[in-house]
Amino acid sequence: MLPLLLMPIAWASAGWLLSISACIDVDESDIRSSRAVSATASAPRGAQTPVSFVREVVPVLTRSGCNSGACHGNLNGKGGFKLSLKGEDLVADYAALTREQGGRRLNVQAAEESLLLLKATGAVPHEGGIRFTPQSQEYALLRRWIAQGARWDNPPLPALQRLAVSPTGECVIHAPRDRFLLQVTAEFADGTRQNVTHLVTGEFTTLGVARLTPQGEVVREGYGSTVLLIRYLNQVQPLRLVFVPARPTFAAEDWTPFNEIDRLVFQRLQHLRLPPASLCSDEVFLRRAYLDTIGLLPSVDETRTFLADRDPHKRSKLIEQLLNRPEFAENWASKWADILRVEEKSLDRKGVGVFQRWLAAQLAQDRPLAQIAQEILQATGSTYAHPPANFWRAVREPLARAEAVAQVFLGVRIGCARCHNHPFDRWTMDDYYQFAALFVRLDYRIVENSRRDRFDGHEFVGEQIVYQRRDGEMIHPRSGQPAPPRLLATETALPPEVDRLGAVAQWVADPANPFFAAAQVNRVWKHLLGRGLVDPNDDMSLNNPPSHPDVLAWLVDDFRRQGGRLKPLIRRIMTSRTYQLAATAPLGTNSTPAERELYHAQAIIRPLTAEELLDAWSQVCEVPLVFRGYPAGLRAQQLPAPPLSRRNADGPAERFLKTFGKPDRLLTCECERSNDPHLLQAFQLLSGELTHQMLTAPNNRLARLLNAGRSDAEILTELYLAALCRYPSDSEQQAILPSVSRSPNRRQAWEDVLWAILNSKEFLLRQ
Amino acid sequence: MTTFPAAPSGSQPSCVWSRRAVLRLGGIGLFGLSYAQLDALAAAPTARQKASARGIIFLHQWGGPGQHETFDPKPEAPEAIRGWHGASATRLPGVRFGEGLPRLAALADRLTVIRCMHHNMKNHNSAGYYSLTGVPPPSDDIRLRDSLDLAPAYGSIVSHLRPSQPGTASFVALPHVIADGSVTPGQHASFLGKAHNPLLITRDPNQPDFQLPELTLPAGLSVERLEHRRSLQQLIDTQARLIEHSLLARGIEENYQRAAALLLSPAFRQAFDLSREPSRLRERYGRTTYGQACLLARRCIEAGARFVNVYFSRSIGGTGGGWDYHGNNGESAVRRLDELLPATDQTLSALLEDLEQRGLLHEVLVVWVGEFGRTPRINNNGGRDHWPQCYCAVLAGGGIRRGYVHGASDKIGAYPTVGLVRPEDLAATLFAALGIDPHTEIRDRLNRPLPISRGQPVRELFA
Repeated sequence: MLPLLLMPIAWASAGWLLSISACIDVDESDIRSSRAVSATASAPRGAQTPVSFVREVVPVLTRSGCNSGACHGNLNGKGGFKLSLKGEDLVADYAALTREQGGRRLNVQAAEESLLLLKATGAVPHEGGIRFTPQSQEYALLRRWIAQGARWDNPPLPALQRLAVSPTGECVIHAPRDRFLLQVTAEFADGTRQNVTHLVTGEFTTLGVARLTPQGEVVREGYGSTVLLIRYLNQVQPLRLVFVPARPTFAAEDWTPFNEIDRLVFQRLQHLRLPPASLCSDEVFLRRAYLDTIGLLPSVDETRTFLADRDPHKRSKLIEQLLNRPEFAENWASKWADILRVEEKSLDRKGVGVFQRWLAAQLAQDRPLAQIAQEILQATGSTYAHPPANFWRAVREPLARAEAVAQVFLGVRIGCARCHNHPFDRWTMDDYYQFAALFVRLDYRIVENSRRDRFDGHEFVGEQIVYQRRDGEMIHPRSGQPAPPRLLATETALPPEVDRLGAVAQWVADPANPFFAAAQVNRVWKHLLGRGLVDPNDDMSLNNPPSHPDVLAWLVDDFRRQGGRLKPLIRRIMTSRTYQLAATAPLGTNSTPAERELYHAQAIIRPLTAEELLDAWSQVCEVPLVFRGYPAGLRAQQLPAPPLSRRNADGPAERFLKTFGKPDRLLTCECERSNDPHLLQAFQLLSGELTHQMLTAPNNRLARLLNAGRSDAEILTELYLAALCRYPSDSEQQAILPSVSRSPNRRQAWEDVLWAILNSKEFLLRQ
Repeated sequence: MTTFPAAPSGSQPSCVWSRRAVLRLGGIGLFGLSYAQLDALAAAPTARQKASARGIIFLHQWGGPGQHETFDPKPEAPEAIRGWHGASATRLPGVRFGEGLPRLAALADRLTVIRCMHHNMKNHNSAGYYSLTGVPPPSDDIRLRDSLDLAPAYGSIVSHLRPSQPGTASFVALPHVIADGSVTPGQHASFLGKAHNPLLITRDPNQPDFQLPELTLPAGLSVERLEHRRSLQQLIDTQARLIEHSLLARGIEENYQRAAALLLSPAFRQAFDLSREPSRLRERYGRTTYGQACLLARRCIEAGARFVNVYFSRSIGGTGGGWDYHGNNGESAVRRLDELLPATDQTLSALLEDLEQRGLLHEVLVVWVGEFGRTPRINNNGGRDHWPQCYCAVLAGGGIRRGYVHGASDKIGAYPTVGLVRPEDLAATLFAALGIDPHTEIRDRLNRPLPISRGQPVRELFA
């Protein structure tokens, strides 16, 4: 009998990321059979078998937490005993155990008397408490290794090639079942296999969902999802776990897929017994679609027209119109500018202007994203005449350039490898410095620098010429030798005299690049759906598996098929049913919002971004914004760069953007934008000067409506349509209108109503 | 690691199974301990530390006070080193302070003076960041740029790990945002998130009409109208039902409730109403921005704040500015010191006496430190330049030893000869005083684990 139904699907050509299996159910017979396997495999071996330092001793120290960052793996060690973090440096660890302190940590004559064991079992006082008991396997292994002479593995053992975890990919465990057994097999370079279930370290990415028992069972602690990262030596395997409570299956009839995304998402939801939300209303869709594409609210007329339209295809029609508006290109250029570090101090005002306009022009033409990336990466020349060269003007050191390129264009973070070989990440210091060597020859000719602050080495005002020198090497800090230039995830170094930037640019834009398409698709998904399929979106690694590997794989293929362009990708996602779901759960579902959002059973609600919110206030109040140094009426979204903060000189609009989390664009990370609500935002809206000015401005929308002699009911309707894209309900009219007519000051009464509308959660949030 | 003396009020939050705790344990083996055992051990490495201080008032001396003029005078050194002032005896036998600090000399038996502070950052912004976070800056840069990959302020970490009671700001900063050309990093929560930013008060508490702008309604907007607006807002919110099913909407509404409550509540305003203090006490602190800010800091701590940053001045130097007395451009260092030293003597002594009289000194730790010291030799302009290699810090209260001098400098005050305390060690000491394990990990925006301090607590400083 096949114990588990395995259907591996390699997603994208980035097969290294993850090969997943479709959802599997674990039933009782599986558990029994795997338990039998496990029982034989983990039977204690004879006292004669030599214990391996590398394969057994260090993994035991790792799983016991000894070499974690908070304990002896700390940079300073703990209590005078320092191990390398999670066993990264085996030689140092061996020396620390056997040589330091006159070798008093180990006692090969009487292994039980070794300080290592006495401390770990709490027989002598230990700051870190009891790590294991004398009855444990950990103890037995370490004791045996010491008794055998605490030897370094000689000859060296073949390296670990593959870590096989059974079950693989994803486990869906339906109540009342609440547990299953793991089995982890290591495959070594010489073809030998070993059951290492008792040697691995397990870490859950969220707490309270499951735990590992001493018997190697994964046991439910609560319902929901988590990822169990199973680590052994330098490898990690993720296992996604979903513990599903007792809930009924549901029928498919109300949920016809609009496209392949929906089919995949829906299949998953059925398996998880998570009934999806209904399709969102036209009102919600309209507001969502406008904000997500052009970053603005529809005008009152546009709203009336759309709501009145009886065409069943009106949503697709609207998406098409929005994609072709100039504001679409501006809005998405601004998202790009956020991570390309388009800011004034290093680029100067002219630089941010030309770069932002260039980005918008590329997106308006819908050039393939890979081409845009290629042009940015190989850009040299004048930062004024050739706008994409501004990227290199902002990112000025080889290491920062390497990290930025990996993060922005490839969706991977290589920064850890600047200082150490990350024990569980694939990137080594060699990878890092060899990749950085590709950017080491970039240099600048500063034509002029008329900066205001002569002490500020970050400020550049004036033209710069970006060029590549013919010499210059990246020195690897460990070897002290030049690191030969090498692309990420490739085997051979490039010849030193190659056009290094050109090589990177070509490689990124190559359709066979294993990272680029997935990174772009994932990022767009994040902006439209509220959460990356891999989240955080720029941390694609085995440690951070996607929520929907199949959707990501399909979208990557589809993106390529459609020429790798932004608009078709956005169109595909927005025309899916998944995108158009309501943000509310169907009645009576036994599930949490977090779970429904993670699996896209409902839309994710997000706060309007700083720019969207400020532009929306301005639009609804009909009061143009004023930014220092720019013509009045420029929208927040059109600002080429965040306003430079000069002490006490920020205007109210600049302060508003900062309070609501507009990033300074100093990091090449989406994470720099922080939408988390906080108290100052509430103060800004309750008592802030800018919002007060907009409400009381003498020529605002209220003034226009009142002067035109509109009735209270008409005014209320217009305000609702302008701000919330819907008509006021009967009960709202009945509650609000009398309060206005009772008021002695009609204008003030309307200011109060408008304030309330612009502070309703419905206004502040994009559903 | 050190076990610190029990504090009267240092309460520990109960041990909960956080992801943090599991990471601290370093992953869970399959056949090791039972979960019951692990659970019992979870808090072991850290929870043993007892807080000796309930709160910290951090008096940041922007510009860099000279060790010679303040707490490490060298009266026997040649004139070019000794400087303009003599030294005077203090309440501690054999310990002398600069003669410009007579009231502090009389309080020396309450203080711990550290004379061996040391680092290598010579620019204000880099050194300032170092002094505000205990994290070495990435570069020694005159205009070190503030960005979200730099470390959070001490107070933000405290707000993250040991928040105050709900309704009270954990971290308050006043009365300036400090800058040297560009805003000095280290004054906010950075990657910990805006929720841990300080309650920032930049209005001058020495002004008669001092109030928080956040607590001030725009002209023409009455409290009644605000309440009316809130009721209309709630009406629309009820209609959309977002608060029912969105955690985010609920979070936003809670912020409205808190902000509106603060705007409408007299109690909270009172904490910021310095007119409630007797005028004699206000005079005692000094009718300066800094003096009144220190008084306000005491009120904040009384109201439950855990960490208060008081910045001595907005700018590094110049008349009315900080301690940066190079003597450039014809400025007289002596005249600057005639301004700086009396203000310091008056306000710091007032704060310590006030805390003591209120019975708060044993649980509130006062820290006085700048970003660096000043050159041993007087320069050609008759001033002193930047000198991070050796400078002073003063600690008092909150379980710190009384009447103690830690470390010593050489005979010209150029390098530490006994002891060496780096900003990260001072940071570790402050965290330890609050009962926080100085090696607790926080995660930055890229989810990298970072210890809150890479230093070691200075055990000798604790009583």
